[in-house]
Amino acid sequence: MAETDARASAGTPVIAIEGLTKSFGANQVLKGVDLSVGKGEVVAIIGPSGSGKTTLLRCINFLEEYDGGSIRIDGTEVGYRDGAGARKRRSDRELAAIRVDAAMVFQQFNLFPHLTAAQNIMLGLMKSRGRSKAEARAIAEKWLARVGLSAKVDAMPSQMSGGQQQRVGIARAVAMEPKVLLLDEITSALDPELVGEVLAVVQELATEGRTMILVTHEMAFARDVADRVVFTDQGRIVIDAPPAKVFGEQPHERLRSFLSRFAGFRPNPA
Amino acid sequence: MANYHFNFAIVWRYAGKLFEGLLLSLELAAASIAIGMAIGLVLALISLDGPKWARPLIAAYVEFVRNVPLLLLVYLVFYGIPSAIDLQYDAVTSFVATLAIYSGAYLVEVMRAGLEAVPRGLIEAGKSIGLTPMKVLWHVRLPTAMRIALPSLSNTYVSLFKDTSIASAIAVPELAYGMRWIETQTFRTVEVYLLATPIYLITSYAILLLLRLAERRYAIAR
Amino acid sequence: MATLIQTLPFLVDGLLMTLLVSACVIVLSLIVGLPLGCVLAFGPLWARVPIRLYADFVRGVPILVLLYFVYYGLPAIKVNLPSLLAAIVALTAFKSAQIIEITRGSFQSIPTGQTEAAKAIGLTLFDRFTHVLAPQAVRRFLPPFVNSVVDTVKGSSLVSLLGIVDLMLSLQQVIGRTHVALPLYLIGALMYFAINFPLSALSRRLEKRFV
Repeated sequence: MAETDARASAGTPVIAIEGLTKSFGANQVLKGVDLSVGKGEVVAIIGPSGSGKTTLLRCINFLEEYDGGSIRIDGTEVGYRDGAGARKRRSDRELAAIRVDAAMVFQQFNLFPHLTAAQNIMLGLMKSRGRSKAEARAIAEKWLARVGLSAKVDAMPSQMSGGQQQRVGIARAVAMEPKVLLLDEITSALDPELVGEVLAVVQELATEGRTMILVTHEMAFARDVADRVVFTDQGRIVIDAPPAKVFGEQPHERLRSFLSRFAGFRPNPA
Repeated sequence: MANYHFNFAIVWRYAGKLFEGLLLSLELAAASIAIGMAIGLVLALISLDGPKWARPLIAAYVEFVRNVPLLLLVYLVFYGIPSAIDLQYDAVTSFVATLAIYSGAYLVEVMRAGLEAVPRGLIEAGKSIGLTPMKVLWHVRLPTAMRIALPSLSNTYVSLFKDTSIASAIAVPELAYGMRWIETQTFRTVEVYLLATPIYLITSYAILLLLRLAERRYAIAR
Repeated sequence: MATLIQTLPFLVDGLLMTLLVSACVIVLSLIVGLPLGCVLAFGPLWARVPIRLYADFVRGVPILVLLYFVYYGLPAIKVNLPSLLAAIVALTAFKSAQIIEITRGSFQSIPTGQTEAAKAIGLTLFDRFTHVLAPQAVRRFLPPFVNSVVDTVKGSSLVSLLGIVDLMLSLQQVIGRTHVALPLYLIGALMYFAINFPLSALSRRLEKRFV
């Protein structure tokens, strides 16, 4: 049962998740999740390991196939076509077309090691968005400049630090002009001193009004950037409210004990 | 193809030869592997811990053996050496010596990789409880290296078992030779092959299984 | 010494045969093994099982036994191939199994994150394969492949037992005539070494560059 202070979003939500269930074998990881994200909203998902937050994110672009419930991006059901009665899994082609709109940035960066930074970004633009090579190159250069990596346009991933690789990963996702950006613990694999540069980029994107869903452990960042914070626990959404309420009042026992583990995190900025 | 009359009865009469051959193949493999392991281990240790000048010598040995066909090495040892110096030995001894030298070259690499993969921390822990270098080697490095190397060792051992078939070229009566012998006696090639192949397959698989069991008990996941 | 020099033309003929057999086997095993390896890595179960069975079966038997069967066994069932062809067929059957394994391994060692990232930017299966997976698989494929070329050259020496005059058999013929065994064996070893050592060194360099 979620306590929602969700802002009333104008028009169809960009992401509409209803009754989502997912099991890995005998283990039910998502036990009926409802979530809706409006245009321009930044939603941070926090919660203990195993609570289902990453699985939830990965269901949105169908990297994980969900068992029950529905996920709609701008009204289109993600994984299945509503046939007469039964649900039919979408084909690879259909999925490819839908995934472009829910671009993801990964914890392990997952840059293509045999391509330069620019080529990493250009690949999706040319193949999925149908851009010409010249157009794709221009877009790639623009985005690399935006994330502060003009110097690394033709560098290989092996020649970049973790923070730089992740910024390329963000550029690769954003360059696709997706309807929503999915960020899966994008700073968890970084050395602490590199986290800041990545978060700065995300902060900028949020300020621009991009729709984003981020799974994160960076509580201070979630508090400062998100419009809403969602706390998951044991496969359900327990709280869905603005940061002030989630971090300030901490209305839930489990939330309080979860947050208390983050030593040094002050709910209210000094 | 339809006109081929299978006649297993004739071949079956000689089946004993196949099993005697299998036994000999296993003995050849076991002996060669045992000696090869000794060579491989000693050379790996020398290569890692020993004098710098030894390394290129060991590398030369490994490179030579691994780039030359086993058949040539077998002939070289069996025909070549006795013709040059006054040394006589029978085919079995010759083959075991050759396969031992051959396997040594492969096992040096496997053992070296295993020893190099022993975590530094374990060795330091051993030293810090007062073990001498020899004791550290025996009690810490070797057991750990063996466990790390088990998967590669398994594959190498099975390979070497199959390589014993080359002994048939110098008339050592192992399994492959037995096959050919029955075939020349009975002219029933297909039946012999249908009998002999499963023997190789089952034996290879059995060796692999045994080693995989050992892996499960002892191996360290890397 | 003069006798040794006189033998060289015969040895070179044998060497050419060795190279011919090896080259044929390498090319044919690639033609057979690469597609089957891809199917083993990506295909449906009903396709993977027979390929798996074939690869495990062929690799569980010594090459020599396989050679004997193709060479002596096929004529028995009225399939008459010229001896060179039979030898090449047998060696190809063996090598293909290796190529299948190497190909499969090359694809399966690519981290799953790569496929996910490719899916996340909306690439179809064909594009994922062509632009993300295949380039990375090739880099992983080359070092063990070059090693298997070395194995092929060594394995080709077995055709001497079938009477095909490769380097190995021409070596023995020359020894039979000149009775100078050890030096000639050493020369033969050197010739094989001269072919294989550069390949082994290449494989090691490729491994350092790519893996």
